[in-house]
Amino acid sequence: MDHLLLLSLSLTSLMQPTSSMNEQFLKKWQMGLQIFRPSIDNTSVSERKRAIKLSADVAMASLRKGTTCWSRALIQKAATQDNFLVRQMLSGIKEETLINKKLPKIVCHRKIVRRSKKILMRRKSKSAMEEVAAKAKKLVKRKTQGLRNIVPGGEFMSNNVLLIQETLDYIVSLQTQVNVMRSIVDAADAGVER
Amino acid sequence: MSNRRSRQSSSALRISDDQMIDLVSKLRVLLPEIRERRRSDKVSASKVLQETCNYIRKLHREVYNLSDRLSQLLDSVDEDSQEAAVIRSLLM
Repeated sequence: MDHLLLLSLSLTSLMQPTSSMNEQFLKKWQMGLQIFRPSIDNTSVSERKRAIKLSADVAMASLRKGTTCWSRALIQKAATQDNFLVRQMLSGIKEETLINKKLPKIVCHRKIVRRSKKILMRRKSKSAMEEVAAKAKKLVKRKTQGLRNIVPGGEFMSNNVLLIQETLDYIVSLQTQVNVMRSIVDAADAGVER
Repeated sequence: MSNRRSRQSSSALRISDDQMIDLVSKLRVLLPEIRERRRSDKVSASKVLQETCNYIRKLHREVYNLSDRLSQLLDSVDEDSQEAAVIRSLLM
């Protein structure tokens, strides 16, 4: 009886403003773990951890149904680690839409190099304020690259507007993932304290 | 033709002020730690980007730790333990 109470409590705690995202994630994640279930007692803790995290990532990415770059990149990466699991979890969704099949062309650098060389030549008579602005711009560029390194598929986002949009969506998805996973852990801990 | 392409590539490198203001307001919702900065837009932009990276890394760590915890909870010497049973009923 405690069990059922716990179950319903954990589910109601997931009814947040983004409840549908939480629910969808949980369902998908459960599906992945059910695929893993038959072998669960024969696996090591580290293998279990890998399966838990991998199915959580695929579940998170599948919510976007191939509409974002980061989700496609994440699924592609997961497929290299466990192709079977990914295929099972995503059966029913068209594979082509979910994976970055073609590598988009990174913007050609030759013109950029030529342009910045011209700017360097002109730089001799810059005022102090312009120097500060140029430094700030460089800093933004560096931080942007840092972001590109940390968001899945960032290397394909040469357009900064796209990068920012993807980042925002990625953060919201990560928050969903963390919230649901934490709820499960909390529920288990609470259930044990009795 | 080459002019158009070079214009496109240079605009792709720069984030416009409007877009940055939009990003700041959206990130402020997600990152309560960002405080008001009196400096120029460009400097606060780099701060926003840095905070964003930090936050994403923090979330990655949390997922990593939670996966760890869950795998431990599922692993019990006594397979009939409460932890394992609860987790299995919730997740599997």
